[in-house]
Formats: sequence, C-alpha cells, structure tokens
Amino acid sequence: MSLSQGLRANNDAGYSPSVRVGLDVSGFARQLVEPETMFREISLDVEWKYNHFVAVEAGLLDIDVQKQTHRYMAGGYYLRLGPDFNVLGRKPEAPNDLVLLSLRYGFSKLDHEAPFILIPDPYWGDFQTAVDSESYSAHWIEAGISLKTELGYNVFIGWSLRGKLLLYNTREAEMEPYFIGGFGKTGRNTGLMLHYHIYYRIPFR
Amino acid sequence: MAFHNKPGFAFRRIFFVLSGIIFLCWACQEDEICEDITANDLRIGFYRIGQDHDQWAVVDSLRVFSLEQADIPVHEHLTSVSVLELPLNPATDNCAFVIDFYPITDTLWLTYQRETQFISVECGFTMFFELTGINHTNNHIVAIEETTTYVTNTLDEHLKVFIPDPGNGDEPQPGFTGK
Repeated sequence: MSLSQGLRANNDAGYSPSVRVGLDVSGFARQLVEPETMFREISLDVEWKYNHFVAVEAGLLDIDVQKQTHRYMAGGYYLRLGPDFNVLGRKPEAPNDLVLLSLRYGFSKLDHEAPFILIPDPYWGDFQTAVDSESYSAHWIEAGISLKTELGYNVFIGWSLRGKLLLYNTREAEMEPYFIGGFGKTGRNTGLMLHYHIYYRIPFR
Repeated sequence: MAFHNKPGFAFRRIFFVLSGIIFLCWACQEDEICEDITANDLRIGFYRIGQDHDQWAVVDSLRVFSLEQADIPVHEHLTSVSVLELPLNPATDNCAFVIDFYPITDTLWLTYQRETQFISVECGFTMFFELTGINHTNNHIVAIEETTTYVTNTLDEHLKVFIPDPGNGDEPQPGFTGK
C-alpha cells in the first residue's frame, strides 16, 4: 500500500508519522507596521500518534527604536513547548487539514536598555534620564486553537489564536520591557496573540 | 477537476475568509493619542466629611501651586471643582502642592517611587508613580484617604480629600497630619 493510499484510509491504519517545520510570518507583517521591531519564529511539530502532536517553537526578538524623545533597544529569545490535539475528522480527500487544540509552556529571556529617555512635562519641565542594560525573563502558559490546511505537495498554511497567562517575570526590574518575545506586550498578566504560519511536512515514510 | 470542486476547497475557503477578517480587525487599531496615554497626574476627589463617600463635593473655587515653583500656578481660578489633577514631579521622589480654597490654604506633601515605563514605539516613555507617603495640613482638609497608591495612565481616583460639611458646622482644627 502506498503512502497516499494509506492516508486515504481515514483511520489509524492509514496514519503515518511525520514532522512539520514551520515559519511564523506574523513577524514579517508586524515589521511592516513597526519597522523597529523584529520577530522571527520557527516551529517543529511531530505527529507521534494519530491526531496527537507535540510541538516546539523557538524565536528571536530584536527591537531598536530611535526617536527624538527616546532610544530603546531589546534583544532576546524565547521557547514554547507543548501538545496539540486534532479535533477535526480527517477526511480521505483532505487527510492533513487540522483543527488543533493547543497547550504550551513558554519561556523568554531578553536584555534591554534605554540609553536616552526624554519625558515631556508641561509643568515641571522635560525630564531626561536613561536606563542601563538589564536582563529580564518570563515564564507563561498558553492555550488556544489553531487551524492548518494543506495547499498541496506537503505545504501547509495556518493560523493560531492563543490566550496566555504570565506565571513569573523578573521582579524589581528598573524598567518593564516593551515586548516579551513569544508572550506579547507587558503591563498585564494575560495576553492574546494571533500567529500566521507556513509549514512543510516531512513524512517519515 | 475544477479547483472549486477539489476536495478540501471549502475548508481552505473558510480558512482564508476567517483569516482575512481576523487580520483586518487586528490591523484596524485606533491610532494612539500619546498625550492621553502618557499623562499620569495624581487624581484627587473632594468629599464632604460625614456624607456619602461615593458622592463628590463641589468646591466653589480654588487655585493650586507647587512649593518648588510657587510663581507658576498648576491651576488658577478653578470653579465648581470636584476632581483635581496634580502633576507629580518626574525628576524627584517628592513634591508639594498648596491648595488655596479662598481664603484658607492647605499644603499637601507627597513622596513616591518612580518607574520608567515604555508605552509604545511612537509615544515613547512615561513615568509611573507609587505613592509612599502623604502629609498635609489641616486648615481646611479634614482627612485624606488613599484609594490606590499607583499613579499610572488610567483614570483612577487616587486620593479622597475630605473637607468640612458647611451644614454641620464642621471645621478642622488647624494642624498637620502625616502618614
């Protein structure tokens, strides 16, 4: 039985383990709106059992803002790891289209600094200050839903929407970072992020 | 087989439509108004002592100036005042204001911790404050109650300032109250 015939069986007997590598294109879109911010993320997920996936996502963050009133720089990395479960019935004609429920554990570490800060104040006068480089880390959990569809020839596109809950972040930081890579903007313990991906699936056999 | 008849096309069509709607909603964010989201004034509400703590009092008129810059009024000739906004000094950990209730004046001393906060790429930085101490004279102000110690870019009321109820003949004994 060929691989494609096995997949069209639409049951465990037709299941074939595979690896899917992906690229988050949200960062490229965000950079169109905010050229100073750069996010790059790749992902790897493995269907270790029929409809059961384990995924790892890794990314880099780089921010360099230079304006008349401020200069802010940040750089770091993040990781997310967790399971996905497909809840969509897999039809023989589209066996790789998925609707996934996802859980993730995330970690991020970054260094940031603000060598020039000017805070305007119409009464007291403009106040100039700076913040030296400091490290910052955060841990969080995520839950959400994602959708992946095969365009053809093992190429997929998909989007995911996840709610996030911050579990831990660096205490006594002199300055809260503008953005925690993989989590989102700071200021709240919860967040919601939308991602767009393209993938390539590599069957094991 | 035509493309639209190919299996899975409906799924992909739903995907693209949903994606477009979601992306459109996400992209259509309101422009930031930097002055609004970087202004972090201390917000004081006036209340009559002995009356409902949820109902503002109305002060006929007042003016405010700081001890550090007495020649530059913060507010001048305000009338029908229920809520007063005072700018905390971002360069120091303390400041003081004189509130002139015409003709009685009171001085309010404030100490706080400062935290630099990055708002956005366009708006830059602002200063958040956490109140650590409040002292005041008692010439007209009877008492001050802290509602919240964090002074950020929200519209929260931070202090309740209690002044006498003229109907009850309440008048504070001149003096000083510290916290």
